[in-house]
Amino acid sequence: MAIHEQMRKGTTTVIVLNLLAEAGRPMYGYEIIQALEARSQGTFRFREGLIYPRLHEMEQEGLLRSEWQGEEGERRRKFYAITAEGLKRLDVELADWHTLAAAVNRLLGGEGQA
Amino acid sequence: MSGIDEVLARIGSQLKLDGETEHEILAEIRSHLEEAVAQARAEGLDEAEALSRAAARFGAEEQVGKDLQATHAGWGTADAVLAAALPVVCALVLRWLAFAPDGTAVGWQQVLSRPAFWGVALAGLLLPVVKFRRWRYAVAGWAVLWALTVLFAVSPALRW
Repeated sequence: MAIHEQMRKGTTTVIVLNLLAEAGRPMYGYEIIQALEARSQGTFRFREGLIYPRLHEMEQEGLLRSEWQGEEGERRRKFYAITAEGLKRLDVELADWHTLAAAVNRLLGGEGQA
Repeated sequence: MSGIDEVLARIGSQLKLDGETEHEILAEIRSHLEEAVAQARAEGLDEAEALSRAAARFGAEEQVGKDLQATHAGWGTADAVLAAALPVVCALVLRWLAFAPDGTAVGWQQVLSRPAFWGVALAGLLLPVVKFRRWRYAVAGWAVLWALTVLFAVSPALRW
């Protein structure tokens, strides 16, 4: 089951930052989408085009930096890498996420109950 | 016009940005669509089916275009203004280094021997080039102001 669109929007930042941090290398948009879908086993399914405004916003916020790669005559791709600012944001967002997830699980009577 | 061009045209119709930004956005999306079509073709779909699947997975082009417009509106202009402003600020510092506040000239050779002069000169050129996407505005501004500086140094009568 695909997650609700609104929930997806709220989690895109932390998910993309986490993916790039774990990958330890720059990735391009199509590659990011494929990796997210594969990792979530289809649960996190993007309408693919919507990732680009978010990637560009994150770049403007200084969380990512981008670079075009590819020689003349071959497909050129815009690669995104996480910045030091992005790593800091990831730490904060992951902590927030774990706190929220534990609280929601407690409220729903599921895992995470103390 | 190919199918990919039609998708790009629908996205581009929502963009009202500077040419360089629009070109970069559409080039990135073209690369995405070409890769999606190539993957579908590798899975055995024909050209039309591959394009149809790539477009469907990409999503509503108009919405993507609107979101990209909202993301970039003002940003490119701000970036260009900042990039162009930095050399201007540096030029004002240079003027302070090169000429006394009352307008009397400090010897040109004296100026060239000051490390601060070269520090400001290099910073004014390198910082915008490294930090700003609209670095060409910085280079253009820098070139004009350098030309004025040299002109005023060579022809003191032109100074205001």
